This record gives sequence, structure tokens and C-alpha cells, in this order.
Amino acid sequence: MQIEAAICAFCGCLCDDIVLTIESDRIVQAKNACALGKAWYTAHSRPPDLPAARVDGKSVEVEEAIEAAAILLTKARYPILYGLSSTSCEAQRHAVALAEALGGCIDCCTSVCHGPSGMAVQGFGEPTCTLGEVKNRADLVIYWGSNPAESHPRHMSRYAVTSKGRLTPNGRKNRTVVLVDVRSTPSSRFADLLLTVRPGIDFEILWALRALVLGRKVEPAGLAETGITLAQLTHLAELMKNCRYGVLFAGQGLTQSAGNQMNLSAAILLVRDLNQFTKFAIIPMRGHGNVTGVDQVLTWQTGYPFGVNFSRGYPRFNPGEFTMVDVLRRKEADAVLSVASDPAASLPAEAVQRLTEVPLIAIDTHESETTRLARVSFMASTVGIRASGTAYRMDNVPLFLKQALTSIYPSDEEILGRLLERVRELKA
Amino acid sequence: MIRLALKTRPDLPLEADTIRPDYFAQKTEAEIAKLPVLHGNQFCALGDFFNVRGGASDQLVLEGDLAQVKRIGTGMEYGQITIHGNAGMHLGAGMRAGEIVVFGDAGDWAGAEMCGGKIHIHGNAGHGLGGAYRGSRHGMNRGMILVEGNAGNETGSLMRRGLVAVRGDVGEFAGAFVIAGTLIVFGSLGRRAGAGMKRGTIVAYQQPELLPTFTFDCVYQPLYLRLILQTLQLEGFSIEEEWRTGAYRRYSGDLNALGKGEIFVYDQH
Ligand code: SF4
Repeated sequence: MQIEAAICAFCGCLCDDIVLTIESDRIVQAKNACALGKAWYTAHSRPPDLPAARVDGKSVEVEEAIEAAAILLTKARYPILYGLSSTSCEAQRHAVALAEALGGCIDCCTSVCHGPSGMAVQGFGEPTCTLGEVKNRADLVIYWGSNPAESHPRHMSRYAVTSKGRLTPNGRKNRTVVLVDVRSTPSSRFADLLLTVRPGIDFEILWALRALVLGRKVEPAGLAETGITLAQLTHLAELMKNCRYGVLFAGQGLTQSAGNQMNLSAAILLVRDLNQFTKFAIIPMRGHGNVTGVDQVLTWQTGYPFGVNFSRGYPRFNPGEFTMVDVLRRKEADAVLSVASDPAASLPAEAVQRLTEVPLIAIDTHESETTRLARVSFMASTVGIRASGTAYRMDNVPLFLKQALTSIYPSDEEILGRLLERVRELKA
Repeated sequence: MIRLALKTRPDLPLEADTIRPDYFAQKTEAEIAKLPVLHGNQFCALGDFFNVRGGASDQLVLEGDLAQVKRIGTGMEYGQITIHGNAGMHLGAGMRAGEIVVFGDAGDWAGAEMCGGKIHIHGNAGHGLGGAYRGSRHGMNRGMILVEGNAGNETGSLMRRGLVAVRGDVGEFAGAFVIAGTLIVFGSLGRRAGAGMKRGTIVAYQQPELLPTFTFDCVYQPLYLRLILQTLQLEGFSIEEEWRTGAYRRYSGDLNALGKGEIFVYDQH
């Protein structure tokens, strides 16, 4: 059997032109997908070999595990829900309701990748566009602190660099590509202009660029530490001002280096200033499949994109206070529910320490450090392969992911829905 | 005078925004002990965590390590709080008047968005001291914050009016996006100070790394600084004579914003 136009949900590109060949409930070929996408399809179409639910390492019925998880969570007085980046918006919606019912915190992977973008957007807005516009119009593409060739392999060919669009009929020839990074990466060879900067000084560079764009004076001494010269920056500022349609892709190199949200604020302000001269947009290079969706769902339901707390019954937002790493590091959380994410493997050691001390419940599509550590763990079907659901592309365009194979495990949506129902009963 | 001595250390964050002298002023000891505080996600009584002695006073003394106790004195309108120990997050945030003295450290966002009154921290302060919450248009707007130790990042960010003085070092982005107001740092001033400042003054006593959008103007002796330093001296800050009479290098910026802000750097020579 063949499925046309399937969507790969591995990275934020959400390529929707994948052709799947299915034989005896296995994906044998994923045409058009990149190496990462292929690996994702292969890994997640393997026949399941783990029990659907485990409590203290022992295989149990899903119902029993739901009961155990609900009891652990309702007993807690400062529980936190975390992850949600690789699941559907429908599941995310249940998670928000669950956090509200529990009076706990809810935070997503955004807080450790593009959370700073969220904070910057809140402060200064987001002059953005969709990837379709990039494909059809952009003649200047800047990747800042990002290595798309490895992190989003089809980003350049589908949307931003070689793709041909209405006003970019010759694809690559119509575009100027600029790469700003701290080292040369496999993406470097695609760049017309490569700026190698010292680590941790993005803010100074963006700030100087702003000044150059606005025609203000720049003190060359302030650039001494950055690794690039005033002449190089002036050239870039001219390129930016004179393009027809520019787009800045902000990678994690910006959000996760010294300055964090201020780097993003600077980038947003720069793009805002550029709109006095030409059309310019900024798009954060979101990593995981549906991490953009969590921000959307959380914002739609609570008003805030991540780091939300419901202790008082209504949502409050304060990154640094209600965000996962901080809540764990200060040993505040007294129960953790991780959904579609692996905090035990990805968070800093002091935070992981707390995960080992409190009841941990994990829902994931595969065995991970977190599911191994968890007191209660559920196996769920992967959205886009064995379950369907909505996901948002990195440019905030929602796409519906269809199920391709039969499901054996319940989906995240189903598990969270049942958990929510049980928690509500217990709380009543 | 009312004494609150911590008897049970909360194991979860305790939100105690009811600890306010203006709330206590008309209440008896028993009434105070019954005031609600939020422990994790459950409301408890203040008396569950504190031994309360005294009532009907706006002079408050807190004892114990209150690092887990958040929101002490937020929004207070008059009275005095003295804390013998550390204080948790949001100490005196949004306060309008009165005074808070901490003989210990204070958590993040101390004095954030305050609009009057005075906070004196004898230990260190955290991030966002006198600053703005995410998404807010401005940070502190009137009032005075004195810190004897160090302060974290974004000290006085988006400040609108008021005075912040830090004896020790401050982190990155001190005075970022300041609208107006004064920030004095006697220790080292972190990188990117004054980023995006419109107006306002930052005074440093060690040469900071300045952003490329600040330009050097001149060396002079700002008269009003003497008055501010004198005020600090009256508040118990030790001020050296040459700081008052010495010359300062003036830089103006941030040229990416209005550019009417100034950074003074004390000129040793
Ligand atoms: S670029 Fe991303 S979404 Fe597209 S096929 Fe590769 S991994 Fe999947």
C-alpha cells in the first residue's frame, strides 16, 4: 500500500510530501524524507515489544497504571507536567486541562530551547511570515546560530534556499544566503556569505547591526571581542537593507547562548527596524516536530506559551519561577509527569537529581532514560505513524497528521484524556 | 511590634503575600495567625508555619530562613518589615510605600515593579532586582533599593523612576531598556549594561565593557551625583570622599534607542 503526502513529524519542517510504502503493517519506504525522517519512520514503525503500561517496572493493564498515576499526581501539591513537544495538539490540550485540574505547573521543551524567543516575542512582538512566503519571495536568507543541513535537512531545499517559487523562479540563483555561526558546519558550504563569530557575543553583533541599519554611529571598540570587523557588518547591513524580501532564521545558537532572550529581542528589533527599508521577517528554527504546537495550545488556553502555574487556580506565567529546570533545581516539584520527552537524558544533572527523588510518570513512544526511571510509564503510539493528530510547523501553520499503521498502544491523547478524567473524579 | 518566627520550614514554595504590615495593622494575634498562605497548591494558615506574637502594629519582624517564602510584602502600602534571615522571591514586588530590611539574601525579582518605599538588602539579591516581569512595560517606578552584596542579571531592567544601589557586582543586562531612573554599581558592572536604555543613569566604579552603541562624551564632575552619594551615605552606605569630588567619564546611549541615557564611569586619574 502507498500513502501519498504523508507528513514527517520528526523536526519542525513537517515535510508534507512524503510517500510511504507500507507492507504488512511496516513502513518499508519513506520516499522524499531525509535521513533523519527515514530513521524516524523506521524506528517508530517497529513492532512494539514493550508492555503498554508499567508500574514499578511490572507490566500492568493500562487502566491500573492510570489509577496509579492519578493517585500519585493528585497527592502532589506542586506537580509539574513537562515535555509535549513530540505529540499532537489534541494531547497537549488535555495536558493543559490536567495541569489546571491538578493545580500544578506546566512547561514544555520550549523552556529549554526557544523559550527565550517566547519571552522576546512577548516584549517586542514577532514580525514573521510563513515558509510558503519564504519559498516564493525571499531573496535574502540568513541563518543565525543554526545548522539546518544537520538539524532540519530539507529546510533549505523545500523552503529557503534552493526551492523555486513565484518570485524566485531560479531558486538558488535568486537568493543570497548568509550564515552566522561560531564555527563552520556542514551548512557553511551553502552560504554566499559566512560570518564566523566568537561564541556568546551575538547580542553585540545584532545590536551593532541595528545601529548600522538605522544609520547610527557604532563604536568599533565595542566590536573588538566579536571576531568580525565593522566593514563586514556594514556590508551585511547593506545586504539586509537592499534586499527585496529578507528572512532571518533564528537558531538555538541564539537562544541558548549568553544573553538568551535578549539575543532574540535584539534580532526581533533588528527585523522590526529593517521593515522601515524593505520587507523582512524572522522565524525561529524550532526543533522537535510539534514544539510550536505546544506554544500555540498553551497560549490559546492560558495566555502564555510555557512556564505556566495553576497553584492558585488561574494561570500565571513566570519563566525562571515556574519553568521545569528551575522548579526541579530548587527541589520544589513533588511529582513530575513527562509526556513525549526525555528530561532524564536532556536536563542538567541537578534537575535530573530531583527526578530520581519524586514520583515520576512518563508517557512516551519508546523506551528512554525517563521511562526507565519512571514509577509509572506508558507506551504511546507515535503521532503521524500509529496515531493521528494536529501539529504546527515552525512557521505556525497547522497540519493534520494521519495514522499510517495500525495502533497497538493508546495515543498520548487517549492516555492523557483518561488520566484527566480520573484526576477530576479523585479531586471532586 | 509583631514577631513572626518560622517554626516549620515549608517543603514547597510558600506564597505569603498576606505578610504585609498594612494588613496586620488592624488585626489581633489570632486573626493574623489565621491569614491564608498558599503552600504548593493548598491554602494553609499563617500560624501553621509561623509563631505569631503581637498584633495591631505595622512594625513586623520575621525570623528564620525564609528562602522558600515568596511574595513577602508585595504591594504593601505602609509599615516596616525587618527580616532576620533570607527572603524568597518577589520580596516587596509592587510595593507602594514603607520599608523592608533584610539581614540576609533576597530571591529573584525583589522590588520588581515597585512604585515607592525602600528595600535594604544586607546580603545578595537575585535576578530582576527592581526590574520588570516578562511582558510588562516597565520595572520599578519610584522608590529606593539598596543592596550590600551582589545582584543578578537584569538589575533594574525597564526601570521607570527610582534609585538602585548595589555595593557588590551585578550580572548582565543591568539597566536594560531603562526608561529613566538611576542605577549605581560599586562593584563590577556586568556586560551589556544599559542595552536599549532611553534615558536614565548608570554609574559604575570599574570600567565596564560597553556596547558599541554607547559613545564617549567627556570627563566631568556631575554635581547631582554628589547629592545622590550623600543620600546613600545617610542610608548607611560608606562612600569614599573622592567619589564625591572626583571626575567621571560620561558615555551616552543607547543610540539604538532614544540615546538620552548616560553611563558614568568613575575616573581614577
Ligand atoms: S526535514 Fe525534518 S520533517 Fe522533513 S523529512 Fe527531514 S526530519 Fe522529516
